[in-house]
Amino acid sequence: MRERAVGLVLALPGLVLFGALGALIAYFGIRAASVHRPELLLPLISIAATGFGLFWVLSPVLAGVAFSETHDVDRLLHFPVPVHVLVVSSLLANLTQPMVLAEIPLVLATAAATAAGRPAAFLPCLVAVVLSMLFVLAAAQLAGLALQSAARNRRLQDVALFAGLVVSFVLGLAPLLILLTGAGALGPTLRRVLELDLFALSPFSWGVRAAVHAGRGEVAAAVTLGLAAAAATGVALAAASVLIERMHRGEMSLGPPAGARSRPARMLSGGPLGALLEKDLRVAWREPALKASLLLGLLGPLIFLIFLLQLGPRARSGGGILLLASLVGLSSFGANAFGLERRGIALLLAFPVERWRILAAKNLAGLAFRAPGLLTLLVAAPLVAPAAFVIPALCIAAITLALAAAMDNYASILFPVAVPAPGRSPHAASSGARGFGAAALGAVLLAGALAVSAPFVLLIWLPPLLEAPWLWGVAVPLALLGAGAAYAMLVGGAARLLERREPELAARILGEA
Amino acid sequence: MTSEALPFRRASEVAGDAIVVEGLTKEFRGTKAVDEVSLRVRRGCFFGFLGPNGAGKSTTIKMLTGMLRPTAGTASIEGWSIEEDRLAIKRVIGVLPEELPLYERLSGEEYLQFAGRMYGLGRESTKQRCDELLEFLSLAEDRGKLIVDYSLGMKKKLALAAALIHNPRVLFLDEPLNGIDPVSSRVVSDLLKSLARKGVTLFVTSHVLDVVERLCDEVAIIDRGRVIAQGTVDELRDRRSHGEDSSLEDAFLRLVAADVERRDLDWIG
Repeated sequence: MRERAVGLVLALPGLVLFGALGALIAYFGIRAASVHRPELLLPLISIAATGFGLFWVLSPVLAGVAFSETHDVDRLLHFPVPVHVLVVSSLLANLTQPMVLAEIPLVLATAAATAAGRPAAFLPCLVAVVLSMLFVLAAAQLAGLALQSAARNRRLQDVALFAGLVVSFVLGLAPLLILLTGAGALGPTLRRVLELDLFALSPFSWGVRAAVHAGRGEVAAAVTLGLAAAAATGVALAAASVLIERMHRGEMSLGPPAGARSRPARMLSGGPLGALLEKDLRVAWREPALKASLLLGLLGPLIFLIFLLQLGPRARSGGGILLLASLVGLSSFGANAFGLERRGIALLLAFPVERWRILAAKNLAGLAFRAPGLLTLLVAAPLVAPAAFVIPALCIAAITLALAAAMDNYASILFPVAVPAPGRSPHAASSGARGFGAAALGAVLLAGALAVSAPFVLLIWLPPLLEAPWLWGVAVPLALLGAGAAYAMLVGGAARLLERREPELAARILGEA
Repeated sequence: MTSEALPFRRASEVAGDAIVVEGLTKEFRGTKAVDEVSLRVRRGCFFGFLGPNGAGKSTTIKMLTGMLRPTAGTASIEGWSIEEDRLAIKRVIGVLPEELPLYERLSGEEYLQFAGRMYGLGRESTKQRCDELLEFLSLAEDRGKLIVDYSLGMKKKLALAAALIHNPRVLFLDEPLNGIDPVSSRVVSDLLKSLARKGVTLFVTSHVLDVVERLCDEVAIIDRGRVIAQGTVDELRDRRSHGEDSSLEDAFLRLVAADVERRDLDWIG
C-alpha cells in the first residue's frame, strides 16, 4: 500500500505535465482550426477523438497488461447486487482513477475551445465533452471484459498478449518509418478521409462533435449528437452487463479448451549449463511478454542505423558501425536475470549446481535474447562500412555483450526486481523506493562495464585510427582473449557474491513475486 | 566439503542423526517466527512437523533447505552445516515446497528432465527415471502439456517427482498431500512409507493429522515459533490423554490450546 502511494506520488508530476500538455495542444489546435479552416474542425476533432478513444480502449493490451486485472467485477458477482449496478459502479469508480483525473484539463480545454469564447456555451460544451469521455470509459470497460473472457483460455491470452505487444512495437516505430520514407504518401489519403468526414460514424466522436455544434449555437445538431453519445454509452454498459452475466455462468470461454494436448517435447542439451540455457530459452519463447522483448532489442540498433543512413557517405568510414556494435553490446545490461525467475528462484537455488554455471547460463541466455540486435548489426555492417569492418564490429559487440552481462550479474544479485507473472499488470512490480537504489547501482555498474570493456574496444579501434588495418590480425585475438579473462574474473566474483547472498536474494524475490 | 565442516559431520554421523537443529531462530522485523527450535531426526525416520497456521513450520523448512538465513542457531543435514555447506546439502536433499515454484512454461516432461540434468544425472538415467516417475504418479498422459495448464494436484505430483528424481537421502515435504485426489494420495503415502523403509529420512509438515498419525514415526509440534512437544505419536497421545481413547488430533488441539470453548454465534441459523 505504501509503495503504491509512493508510486502515485512519483507518477503525479508526469500525469499533471502530460495532462497540461494535452490540454494546451487541444485548446490551441481547436482554436486554430476554428479560425483558419472551420470546415475541417469537425473531421479533425472526430479523428482525434477516435484515436484517443481507441488508444485508451486498447492500452491494456498494448502495454501487455493482464486482462484479468483490467475490470474484475467478477469477484463481486456473488453478492446480492444487480449486475447493472455493479457495471455502473465500476464505471463511476473508473472516474476516480489517476489516469482519468489527469484528463480533466484536456476535457476542460476542449470544452473551452469549442465554446469559442462564449461563456454561455461553455456548460453545454462541457457536458458534451464529458459524454464523449464517458463513452471512452464505458468502451474500455467493455473491451476489458472481452479481454477477460479471452483470458480464461491461456493459449488465447498468450497469443493476444504477444499480438498486442507487436502492434505496440510497430506503432512505436511508425513515426520513425514515416520520417524515413517521407510523409508524402500519406497526404492524399488523409485529405480524402477529411473530405468524406469518415470518422463522423465513430461513436467516440459524437460527444465532441456535439460540443462543436453547441459552441456554434447549432442546438438541434448538438442535442442529437449528445443524445447519440449518451445512448452509445448506455449500449456499451448494457453490453458489459450481458457479458459479465454470461462470463459468470461460464458461457464465455473463448477459443479451444485449455486442456488441449500438446506433443511431447524433450530437453535436448546435456549438463547443468546446457539445461539452464535451454530452460531459459524455452520459457522466454513461450511467455508472450518475454518473447516480445526480443523485438525491443531491435529498437535501439534500428534507430541508430537510421541515424547513420541519414548522415550519408561521411558516416560510412567504419567508425559508425563500430559505435553501433558497442551500442548492441551494452544492451545486454539490465537483464534482471534473477527477477525474471519469479518464484522459480526457489527452485533454481535449490539445485546443487556451481553458482558460476548459473550465472554463465543466464548470461548466455541474455546474449541469445540480443540476437536480433546482432543480426541487425550483421546485415547493416556491409551497408554502412567497408567490408573489412564487419569482423571487428562483431568482435566489439561480443566483447561489450559479455562484459556488460558480467557486470549486470552484480545488479541482478544485489537489486533483483521480481517481474510480474504473464497476464499480471507490468505495474505490479513492487520494487518501490528500492527501484531508485537499483537505478543508481545500475548506472554505476554500466559505467563500470564501459570502463572494463574500453581497453579491449580501444584495441580494436586502433588499427583504423593508425590507418593500419593489418594490425587487426593481432589486435582482434588479443582483445578477445583479454575480454575473456576479464569476463571469467567478473563472473567468479559474482558467483562468490551469489553464494553469500542466496537466502537474501530468494527472500527478496519470493517476497515480491 | 570444507575442512571446517569435517568434525561436525563425523560427530553427527556417529550419532546416526540425519537432521540436527540447535537453537534455530528467525526474526522478521523484531518478531520471532521461529524461536530457538532444537530437533534431532534420526536417519530413516518419517518425521512429522505439525503446528497451526503461521506457527513457523515453513520458515523452519526454508532455513533447513538454505532458502532463508537463520538469525541465530545452527543446523546440519546429513552432517553438513546449513551455513557452510549449502551446495553439499542440496545434493542430498529433495524439497517439495508449499508454494510449488515450478517453471510453468515448460511441459511436465521437460521440467523433470531439466531437474535431472541439474542434479547431474546422465541423459539415459534421466530419461528412465522421468518415464517411471511420470507413470508412477499418473502423469504420463499429460507429460507434454505445459505446467501452467496442470491442476494443483498434478503440479504437486510433478514437484514431488522432481524432488525424488536424484534419489535424495533426506526429503523435506511441505504439505505433500494437500490438493491431491484420494487415489493419488494413497499412492504418494505408500511411496513415502517405502522410502522411509529404505532409509530415506522424511521431514513432513501436514495439517491432515490422521495422515500424520498413520505415517509418522516421530512428531514435533511447533506453536508460535517454539517446539512445544516432541516424541513418537504414541508418546504424544499418552502424554496428553485423559483416560479415554485419545487421537493425535486431540493431543494436538490440547497442546496448542485450540480446544477452548468459544461463544456460539447466536444470530446464525
